[in-house]
Amino acid sequence: MLGLPDVSIWLAYVLSIGGAVLCVIYGIVHWNKD
Amino acid sequence: MIYIIVSLSLYAVIMAVLSFIGYRKTKSTSDYLLAGREIHPIIMAVSYGATFISTSAIVGFGGAAGQFGMGLLWLTVLNILVGVLIAFIVFGKKTREIGHKLGTNTMPELLSQRFDSRFMQGYAGLLIFLFMPIYASAVLKGIVDYVAKYTGANFDVILIVLSVLSAVFVIMGGLKGIMFADAFNGAIMFAGMAFLIIYTYSLLGGVNEAHEALTRLPDMSGVKEQTDGLVKGGFSGWTSMPKMGTPVWWNIVSTLVAGVGIGVLAQPQLSVKFMTVKSGRELNRAVLSGGIFILFMTGVAFTVGALSNVSFYNETGEIAIKAAGANDAIIPSFIKMFLPDWFGGIFLVVLMAAGISTLNALVHSMGTALGRDFLKQSLKLKTNTVKLTRIAMGIGLVISAILTWLSGKLDVSMAIIAIGTSLFYGLCAATFLPTYIAALFIKKFPKKAALASMISGSAISLFWLFFVQEKTAGSLQICKMLFGTTSIVKGTALNTFSMVDAIVIALPLSVITGMIAWAIIGNVRESEPAGVLNSAG
Repeated sequence: MLGLPDVSIWLAYVLSIGGAVLCVIYGIVHWNKD
Repeated sequence: MIYIIVSLSLYAVIMAVLSFIGYRKTKSTSDYLLAGREIHPIIMAVSYGATFISTSAIVGFGGAAGQFGMGLLWLTVLNILVGVLIAFIVFGKKTREIGHKLGTNTMPELLSQRFDSRFMQGYAGLLIFLFMPIYASAVLKGIVDYVAKYTGANFDVILIVLSVLSAVFVIMGGLKGIMFADAFNGAIMFAGMAFLIIYTYSLLGGVNEAHEALTRLPDMSGVKEQTDGLVKGGFSGWTSMPKMGTPVWWNIVSTLVAGVGIGVLAQPQLSVKFMTVKSGRELNRAVLSGGIFILFMTGVAFTVGALSNVSFYNETGEIAIKAAGANDAIIPSFIKMFLPDWFGGIFLVVLMAAGISTLNALVHSMGTALGRDFLKQSLKLKTNTVKLTRIAMGIGLVISAILTWLSGKLDVSMAIIAIGTSLFYGLCAATFLPTYIAALFIKKFPKKAALASMISGSAISLFWLFFVQEKTAGSLQICKMLFGTTSIVKGTALNTFSMVDAIVIALPLSVITGMIAWAIIGNVRESEPAGVLNSAG
């Protein structure tokens, strides 16, 4: 669990990175869409 | 010292060159106000991020994470999901589309053209011009404080030099110069923060090991005595959330949800960036780099701030806040003690870049708010827009510099930087957000309801900021002069309200006022001029 025993902190850590990854995926999928 | 002088000189030269290129490429009013509406999506995303993230976001909030722990990462989650994904995809596309359709150059202009109200543009422009200097002075103070601490130079001298540099960059280069400089500033910020997180994790033996060491820290010898005060406030370790409902919990959650999380959607200096790209496709592409950029700014600052406790404890036996002496000193002290010497000079430039990029955008917005929105469009002055905007930028910057100088004389224990930032974010959210949403998405929303929401939102939040919310009313001093107290509800049955952020009260009331006015007035009829957007809104 990334060394983070508290679920709410683990979730914040994962969602921060996950949110940035989501932005990358959105950008790639919609690269040529308007 | 040699590292600092070399890095700062190089930085100043490159900034001057970029501003000059912006000046040479600026041919029209639209170039000066909107960078010609043809900015590359990556430059737009980095410029948005560099404007959003100021020195205080890195040093101030990073220091807060050093004190309160990794719970602040929820702010990074909000920054990415609301500040990038929702802002770009939901608000950005519609703002760009309507802005292009109506040919608007600023956020107040977009609102006033959409609702066909010259008064609205003047009112919004004047409000931005009057209160943005408080935010700008907080940003400016963040840079000056840090440079003064790091180089030992005089506060007033640095303030004057930085203000003059910013004036030259912005007044000469317009938005084109600013956005070129932002891309450069953003690249420096990204590289500096990426190095910082990699170095910090490797210093502590890896990601898992670093987090585990931080989790164990509250049980180490001598730590309990140091965290006594924090634990009474609800603190329960740097890798767990504080106890719900305690002062520390409220501090984190209200800062999160109230100030920065929602306020970001209605910032005039940020929403103008959406109008600088030529189609919705560019905004899709901008999302790609926007999310990563914000992760590497606030995500890194919060993680390093919290992890610094382990390094400080291993080296000195003290936790970060005790070893550094103050909240704002945690990140600078950590860099000075644990990172290579050469990185100190680089990090100073990273913080300069963060502050200057935000300051430039604010000076540009203050200039367009007074010059374009109030004087040119609302009062119909004959002078041309660029000239009026340049004069207004100069005035806005001088006011901000004077406020910064005054705040340097105030009691240092007041978190003036964080207060100045959240004050402006809250005021903008209550004043503009309901009308901005209506302008973009509710075709039938009437002009008078929009005006009612804007005026009530600004009046209620100003009353709350100046007289009720102790954090702001105390440092703005007007309540004390009139009533001899730091908050008019202090010591009364309503004492709890003195801790509540203005946005929590003013934004819902602004929405309710707009809805009641809409119910009374009814929908816009097709024949009325306010239906200017029947095809687009």
